[in-house]
Amino acid sequence: MFSLSESTIDEIALKKSTIDPSCGGFVCFEGWVRDHNQGKNVLKLAYEAYPKLAIKEGNKIIAEAIEKFGIKNAFCTHRIGLLEIGDMAVWVGVSAAHRDAAFKSCRYILDEVKARVPIWKNETWSDGESGWIEQE
Amino acid sequence: MKNIEILFFGKLKETWNTSNITLETTSHDIESLYLELLKQVSEVPHKQSIKVAINDEFVDWDTLINDKDTIAFLPPASGG
Repeated sequence: MFSLSESTIDEIALKKSTIDPSCGGFVCFEGWVRDHNQGKNVLKLAYEAYPKLAIKEGNKIIAEAIEKFGIKNAFCTHRIGLLEIGDMAVWVGVSAAHRDAAFKSCRYILDEVKARVPIWKNETWSDGESGWIEQE
Repeated sequence: MKNIEILFFGKLKETWNTSNITLETTSHDIESLYLELLKQVSEVPHKQSIKVAINDEFVDWDTLINDKDTIAFLPPASGG
């Protein structure tokens, strides 16, 4: 399941929802706000989303991952709103019978979410300027 | 004449200096609506990088517009 969150991501609750007695593997990725990007010192950032479309597209990606890799469960939560350095911005977790599918599907979900889900990052830098970030 | 709502996200909000407008238009598809909207801006964004949606679904540029549609213009995603 894909969701957007306006508050701190509860990774412990997400992990509990993801793991399953039939699965020997659990893989997760946590994306954190770092203090630099593209040569600039980042002070804070804001994520904006098109919520209805973001949730639809995110859930489509999760369904693709389940189909493609045969995993049991997958969850992804992305923050929206204002974030500070050191805040968690995105969490992806998957459970699968074996590690290979778990690693690959986790990577797949993260890459597809970054490329396809309508979420945009606006950074504020130490020089006082701010701007929308282009896809890297 | 169709009455529609238009949503802009990310840096396209800055290009059009608004996040949403309502418009009466004779444009029949998104492509022609976009050309109509370009008359309002000084800096033309790269169309190839923009995705479009009608009523919360991704669609192609040649999709027809209906009365009361909500049409969104989306710059490349930069989440994660």
